[in-house]
Amino acid sequence: CTKDLNIVPEDDQTVLSDALFENENAYLEVLAGTYANLSLTGVDGPESSNIKGLDAGTSQYGRTLLYLQTLSADQMIWSYENDPGTRELQRNIWTAQNPVILGMFSRAMVTVAFANNFLRETTKEKLDARNVSTATRENIVTYRAEARLLRALSYYNLMDLYGKAPMVVETDPTAGFNPPQADRTELFTFIESELLAIDADLMAPKTNQHGRADKAVAWMILAKMYLNAEVYIGEAKYTECLTECKKIIGGGFSLATNYAHLFMADNNTNSAINEIIFPLISDGLITQNYGPTTVMVNGEIGSLEANGIPLGVGASGWGGALRVRKQFAQLFDGGIFSGDTRNTIISGTRSIDITDISDKDQGYIIEKYSNATSTGTFGSDQTFVDTDFPLFRLADVYLMYAEAHLRGGSGGSNADMETYINALRTRANNPQNNLTAADISLEFILDERARELHWEAHRRQDLIRFGKFTGGNYNWAWKGNGSNGIALPSYMKVYPIPTASLASNPNLTQNTGY
Amino acid sequence: VVKEKTSGEPLPGVSVVVKGTTKGIQTDFDGNFIINKVSAGNVLVFRYLGFADKEVTLENNFNLIVELTESAEQLEEIVLVGYGTTTVKDATGSVESITAKDFTKGNIVTPENLLSGRVSGVSVTTSGAPGSGSQITIRGGSSIGASNSPLIIIDGLPIENSDASISGSRGLLANINPNDIESFSVLKDASATAIYGSRASNGVIIITTKKGRKDFTLDFDMQYTFGEVLDRVNVFSANDYRSLITAKRPGDVSALGNANTDWQDEVLRSTTSSLYNLTAKGQIFGAIPTRLSIGFANQEGALLTSQFDRKTISLSMNPSLFKDHLKINLNYNRVFEDSRFGDSGQIGAALRYDPTQPVYDASSRFGGFYQHFSNGEIANGTTNPIASLLQRNNTGYAFRQYGNLNFDYKFHFIPDLRAVVNVGFDKITSENSDITSKLAPAQSNALFFGNDAFNTQERGNKLFDTYLNYSKSFNKLNVDLTGGYSYQRFENFGTNSGNRNNPENISTTFADPDVVNLGFFSRLKFKYNEKYLLTLNFRRDGTSRFSSDNQWGNFGGAALAYNISDEDFLKDSKVLSSLKLRASVGLTGQQNIPGVNDLYLDRYRFGNETSRYLFGNSSIKSTIPSVVNPDLKWEETTTIEFGVDYGLFDNKFSGSLSAFQKTSDDLLFDAALADGTNFGNSTIQNIGQLQIKGLEFTLNGDILKSEDYNWNFTFNATYLDRKITELANDQDVRTGGTEGGTGNTIQLLREGYTPNSFYVYKQLYNTAGKPIEGAYADLNGDGVINDDDRYLKENPNADVTLGFQSNFNYKNFDLAFNLRASLGNYVYNNVNSSKAQYELLLDNAVLGNLPTSVLETDFLRTSDVINSDIYIENASYLRMDNVTLGYTFNNPIKKFSYSSIRLWAGVQNVFTLTNYSGLDPEVFDGIDKLIYPRSRNFLMGANIKF
Repeated sequence: CTKDLNIVPEDDQTVLSDALFENENAYLEVLAGTYANLSLTGVDGPESSNIKGLDAGTSQYGRTLLYLQTLSADQMIWSYENDPGTRELQRNIWTAQNPVILGMFSRAMVTVAFANNFLRETTKEKLDARNVSTATRENIVTYRAEARLLRALSYYNLMDLYGKAPMVVETDPTAGFNPPQADRTELFTFIESELLAIDADLMAPKTNQHGRADKAVAWMILAKMYLNAEVYIGEAKYTECLTECKKIIGGGFSLATNYAHLFMADNNTNSAINEIIFPLISDGLITQNYGPTTVMVNGEIGSLEANGIPLGVGASGWGGALRVRKQFAQLFDGGIFSGDTRNTIISGTRSIDITDISDKDQGYIIEKYSNATSTGTFGSDQTFVDTDFPLFRLADVYLMYAEAHLRGGSGGSNADMETYINALRTRANNPQNNLTAADISLEFILDERARELHWEAHRRQDLIRFGKFTGGNYNWAWKGNGSNGIALPSYMKVYPIPTASLASNPNLTQNTGY
Repeated sequence: VVKEKTSGEPLPGVSVVVKGTTKGIQTDFDGNFIINKVSAGNVLVFRYLGFADKEVTLENNFNLIVELTESAEQLEEIVLVGYGTTTVKDATGSVESITAKDFTKGNIVTPENLLSGRVSGVSVTTSGAPGSGSQITIRGGSSIGASNSPLIIIDGLPIENSDASISGSRGLLANINPNDIESFSVLKDASATAIYGSRASNGVIIITTKKGRKDFTLDFDMQYTFGEVLDRVNVFSANDYRSLITAKRPGDVSALGNANTDWQDEVLRSTTSSLYNLTAKGQIFGAIPTRLSIGFANQEGALLTSQFDRKTISLSMNPSLFKDHLKINLNYNRVFEDSRFGDSGQIGAALRYDPTQPVYDASSRFGGFYQHFSNGEIANGTTNPIASLLQRNNTGYAFRQYGNLNFDYKFHFIPDLRAVVNVGFDKITSENSDITSKLAPAQSNALFFGNDAFNTQERGNKLFDTYLNYSKSFNKLNVDLTGGYSYQRFENFGTNSGNRNNPENISTTFADPDVVNLGFFSRLKFKYNEKYLLTLNFRRDGTSRFSSDNQWGNFGGAALAYNISDEDFLKDSKVLSSLKLRASVGLTGQQNIPGVNDLYLDRYRFGNETSRYLFGNSSIKSTIPSVVNPDLKWEETTTIEFGVDYGLFDNKFSGSLSAFQKTSDDLLFDAALADGTNFGNSTIQNIGQLQIKGLEFTLNGDILKSEDYNWNFTFNATYLDRKITELANDQDVRTGGTEGGTGNTIQLLREGYTPNSFYVYKQLYNTAGKPIEGAYADLNGDGVINDDDRYLKENPNADVTLGFQSNFNYKNFDLAFNLRASLGNYVYNNVNSSKAQYELLLDNAVLGNLPTSVLETDFLRTSDVINSDIYIENASYLRMDNVTLGYTFNNPIKKFSYSSIRLWAGVQNVFTLTNYSGLDPEVFDGIDKLIYPRSRNFLMGANIKF
């Protein structure tokens, strides 16, 4: 009877590796699993998670990214500070124990592990051994490039947020292995070389299935790396940034006809599909998650306004979970912004100042994201929105172009810059839509990025590039845990390596200052 | 013939031994025995469980009628150990036996509560919910990540871990009728438990059920219970609440209602419960001693709507064949359990609900219940708790069958050799129907489709084990050898319909991988000169939970005991009547990690219907590799124990003192993985070490013993110190989820500290001694108050637990009571920490009530204070579990010579002395999230015997 000790899984959702790959569809499904790690937290619904150490819903990739890039800066306030990690992030008093900081690190590294696993399972030897058909092999060439792109995206996030990461590639073992640490420069080199290497195998822009990455996504990551290269490696790469921006712009993308389309439940089918370069998929039925769009649509419903119904969620949403800080609201001061469609602020009787973070009646709210569609219907579920999160979109490229050009990159032109900036203004119905190069300063770009791209997980990176995140030359509300803002030490430009990650891998070292 | 002295009933199974020899026999079912080749002058020793020994010197008349009297003297009591029995005197390990007469009394419907407070080192925590499961630990539990529940064995059938859940049932122990239980044997030290190898690290509880007899008897037992929850969490009354709102939120005065509702009074109720048991014993077909019992339990829960009904049928047949060479024991049980589950979350809702609003509202569109409603929309916030209870019908039905068939064959030509074969099974099928009215408001959802979910589940296991036992004496040396094999397979699967009212709904199924446990076991017992005892155990175990490289483990133990009082220099002591010194060491294993059955396999899992991805706007079955740990292996616990068993003044006082140290190595523990290597950031690994040091003391006293008076008591005390001596990568692990916020935790596992110590901020106070909101000590002195300033303060484990039971008889009156105390256990008052802040006067968009403890702190905001050490309270307590008074009428019905009627009455949960400010200091895992309240029960009952 000792043979009885060899058991097999019995649940119909679980399958052993050997059995799985008998079906050639598995390759696309396992690739989909790697993508899905950007939207889903686990395989058993929105409350399940394949990473631990924090609330399952909060561990969603886009949400941790939003918290680390936006909540920690000058645009957003989260009312429920008893949700672990949020208080320390939005008041800039985080430590290496912070669960959200752990969540981002682990989530990104799980994507690396999934991608490496895909690459291991699609080597020539494995495909030969499984007698995989020629047609599938051809597809797998693209799949492998996409897996490498997702791995590069993760390393890009880690490089930006933490300045270092454990370096694991597909040739490394899965168990009993402590990966070496790669510093920012090594990561930069690795990501750059990977993205260049896979360029030929990726699909041309806008030719892949919705939800899958094409060449433009690789170019976008490169453009962002080059734009921030001075921060990352102390070297200006604005020319390279411009090159990538131009490739994307030439890739057939165009602005959505309506700014609001980008953040609506049907942004996978309305005019936003021309602008969004890479979405994080959300679907109220099929891809349920507590990701950034579900959080923002439910969270932006005001405590006083109970304005959820037209936005396609419950009337009170999450009871005023999110508001904006004063400095962000002030970016829309002045008559020219009164009709600007990017200005979704509801001020009502509210004070612009937030003196008490838990008082949900203080501070303005916004209605940027919605679970309604462009045709006046609503998403399929009242909590889990259908709205995809626009991780990368063309408007960002236009603004990067302008910034790289202003920062001295060569290959751009004032004329193109003016066209791009005015295109954004025109789309937003802003009367000031005829700006010339003389009107466009770096300061203007930073503010315009906030107006165009607020709550899209860019702000911390932008402020760091502009030298305004740490130090005391720009103190926004609650920066450094003071209601009027207090200077931050410069080591806070990167997040600490999470305690758990540090402990489990002796090759990692903590960032200076933590 | 051997008879019981008081009733004159014949006693079967009494051991009769010719003193100084190994010659002996047991009495048959009529109490008869025949012993050959004895001569006048020989002394016969009669021994029987729960009775005093009797020695009879043979004279010329060999037709003896021997009467045995019941005794508290326990030394010769037979004690069940794994795969066999021993006597208290010959026991080498730490084993405590509790028989029916010692059981804790009260409105007890689940078997483990019979043990509550009775055995040193054993802790049983049960909520007030009817038929609810319990958290049982022996010596604090030797694991952190793996199960801390003891192995429970019923008549040789190990049942599934008692914390395994069954949808629609109150739990695996809830469908065992306590009335069918004859005795418990609690094995604590490793030498006793090692025979169960990999399943024994947390101790073993062996349950023996009652057996059949030859003489016909009928026993009818009934009991009625009237219960009431006396205490309430203090919240503002309607009028005080109006004043409070006027003072604190004047803008919301218009939202106040005109009613005066005490929501806690509304959701709680006084209860009636009843228990009936009818037991018939007798011989059928003239040869098969049989016991048949039928039990009905009917319990109302103190929370509105909650209800537990159980019917049990238990059959036991115990024939002996071939002149007692073959003994057959058949046990078969059928249990039907019906439950209605009241959502205990509504107790918390009752604290919060606006007391100025009425329960009912004729104009309401929500089925006549008041609900907060504004602008045509149901407002976010707590919903009417009465409506939530009455509009939901969450019922469960479970059917369980379990039993075993045991053959015990004494070889015809080698009577010293026995073969035992035991086959058993346990199968529970359950259904759970959860229906919520379509009129019930759905939070943050405008679609009112109510709920209609239907789940089914089936759990089962099959057992086969067999062993050979050889027992023989060679002069002064007794040898007892046992060797055998055991196989058990567990299954669990089920279905979940989802909400059938929801058109988007998808039904799902689940199935756990089977768990298979195999074992080869052996035990060698030596006794020399009746004084020196040596027991050696060895078991080799296999489990399907680990890969083939790691699935086998070796476990074992050794114990020495020395009956020093039998030495000449102590033999005649007037003070010391018995004294045994014992020492043992053993290694046991742990493989029971809830939900982890196939972690070593290379598995992929695809998303369920709500966890898929979209490619090209069509759904794709996204598939991810599962976290894998091929290196997983047993957690191993080494126990060293020294003990003294003593009897004083002719065993008027007896008991034991044990000191032990348990060290669990290779703790099965969810620990961080090096990021990027595996398919998750943490998984169960063998990392860490836990050490438990403890002292246990028991004292049994027979204070009075006369014709008319009898008074005996038992007392036990346990000291436990659990400490994590090593943790994965020295890394802290947060644990102890709390209410108030998403994903908050209040406890920490840290090397060098007791597991689950509270991890809090140090509250600062003003000169008047009042806490300053959000002001904490900057413990690391860096000028910032953040996570790095939290510290460890106290822990939920009791340092000392005490139990005391007294039984007093005067003529036909009997009076018994139980006391239980827990000292040095701390509780995090999560009710106050998450509810007693003024900002919660606004419950999302509506008004909400608060505990009045807010007046002491004047705290405004939950997030500022939720992790303050102000909420860590000393929750030591002394509790009287029950007191009962009974009167017995002997022979009221002359026709039946053994008839008796006992009438009794009692109180359960009599009082609790504590300084803890919350409702009840006895909570689960040290976090008071408002447990299902325990009623004070008034009981009366009758026991009629024919």
